[in-house]
Amino acid sequence: MANAREIQNRIDSIRDTMKITRAMYMMSSMKLRKAKNKLENTEPYFTSLKEQIKDILYHYPDMQHLYFDNRNKDMMETVKKKGFVIITGDKGMAGAYNLNVLKKARELIDQAEDYRLFVVGELGRQFFRSQGYPVEEKFVYSANNPSIHRARMMTEYIIDLYQKEELDEVYIILTRMVNSLSEEAEIHRLLPLQTHKFLEEEMLEKIRNEEGVIDQNEARKLHDDWYLIYPSPTEVLEKLVYNYVTGFFYGALVEASACEENARMLAMQSATNNAETMLHDLSIEYNRVRQAAITQEITEVIGGAKALKKKKQKQER
Amino acid sequence: MNGFLLKIIACDKVFYDGECESFVFPGYDGEMAILANHEPMTTTIEVGEIRFRKPGETKWQRAIVSDGLIKVEHNLVNVLVYSAEKPEEIDKFRAQAALERAKEQLQQKQSLMEYHVSQASMARAMARLRGVEQLKNLNL
Repeated sequence: MANAREIQNRIDSIRDTMKITRAMYMMSSMKLRKAKNKLENTEPYFTSLKEQIKDILYHYPDMQHLYFDNRNKDMMETVKKKGFVIITGDKGMAGAYNLNVLKKARELIDQAEDYRLFVVGELGRQFFRSQGYPVEEKFVYSANNPSIHRARMMTEYIIDLYQKEELDEVYIILTRMVNSLSEEAEIHRLLPLQTHKFLEEEMLEKIRNEEGVIDQNEARKLHDDWYLIYPSPTEVLEKLVYNYVTGFFYGALVEASACEENARMLAMQSATNNAETMLHDLSIEYNRVRQAAITQEITEVIGGAKALKKKKQKQER
Repeated sequence: MNGFLLKIIACDKVFYDGECESFVFPGYDGEMAILANHEPMTTTIEVGEIRFRKPGETKWQRAIVSDGLIKVEHNLVNVLVYSAEKPEEIDKFRAQAALERAKEQLQQKQSLMEYHVSQASMARAMARLRGVEQLKNLNL
C-alpha cells in the first residue's frame, strides 16, 4: 500500500487536471451555444439553397458543361483527378471527432489514384503531413469561427483549380450532427453537379405511387413548367456554382465547428466525471492509509508505555 | 394591386418573409422589377441595393445585398444572397475600412484568385457606403 503522502500527491494532481477539464468544458459549452446559434441561423439558407439548386438543375436545358457530369470527354477519362476537402478541428481533445473524419478520409484517399488534399483545420493538416500524404500547402484555413469570407476564399481556390481542369471531381468530408448526442462523418460530392437526367429519375421516384406506377398527371406537372433563365443558362450556371459551393462550404464549416465543440464538451464532461470517481476512490484509500498509520502509532506508543511500566515494576521489586 | 410572396434569405438569417407588391433588384444588365404574376424565372442578382414595397404602403423598404440568385415561381419569389442588411444597420466605419483594405490589396500584385476576392469585397463595401449615404440624404 502506498503511503499517505504519495496518495495525497496523486489526489492533488488529479484535482489540478480536473480544474483544466472543467474549464475546457465550460468554454466549449459556451462556444457550442454560439455555434449552434449560427447553425440555426444558417439552416434556412442552406436548405433553400439546396432546394433551389435542385430545382434549377431539374429545369436546366440538356447541355454539356464543365460543371456537369455528362460531358463526353469526362466519360472517356479513366482516371479522375479528385480533390478532397477535409474538415477537421484545429485542436484535439475532442473525443473521437477528428478521428472519425480522418478515418473516413483515409479510406477514400487510399482508393483514389490521383488526388489532391485540401485540409481545413490544423490537426488534420498535421496528421496527413506526418503520414506522408501530399497536402496542399497554400490551402490554409482554420476551422474556428467560420465566416462567409473564408468560405468565399475556399471556393475561389477550388473553383479555380476545377476550371483549369486540374480537378475533375471535388468531394467534401465533414461531420454532421445527427442529434445533440451523436454525430457522423459524411462524404459529399460537390462538383460536378448532378445532371438533370439523374434528378429526373429521382423526382419520378418520388411521385411513383404504391404499385410503382408513375402518376401521369403529376409527371406532367413536373414537365410543363416553362422556365426562363435570364440572361443565359451559362451566366446563371457560373453564379449558381459559386453560390452553391460557397454556401456549402459555409454550411459545412458551421456544422463541423458545432460538432467539434459538442464532441469536446462531451469528452471534457466524461473526463471530469472520471476524475471525480478517481478522487472518490483515492480519498477512501487515503483515509484508510491514514487511519492505519495512526493506529500503528498508537499501538507503538501504548506498547512503549507498557514496556516502561513493566521495567519500573521490575525495578521496584 | 396584387401582391406576391417575397422571401429574402441571407446566410445568417431570413431577412424578409412576407407579402410584397413590387420588388426591384440589380440584375445582370441593370435594375429589374418584379410585380405580381411574373413568369417563372431564374436569374442572378448583383451586389447593390434592393427595394421592395409591401401592399398598401407607399414607402419602399431598402436593403443592401451581396450577390446571389433569384428564383421566381408562381407568385413566390425566392432571393438567396450571402448577406442582406438594412441601411441603418450598416457600420459605416467598417465598410470604409473594408473599402480601403480592398483598394490597398488591389494595388499589390495578386494572383487572379485574390484579385477576384478583393474586387468582390470592394464592390460590397462600396454598395454599403452608398446605402448609408442615401439614407443620410433621405433623412435630411
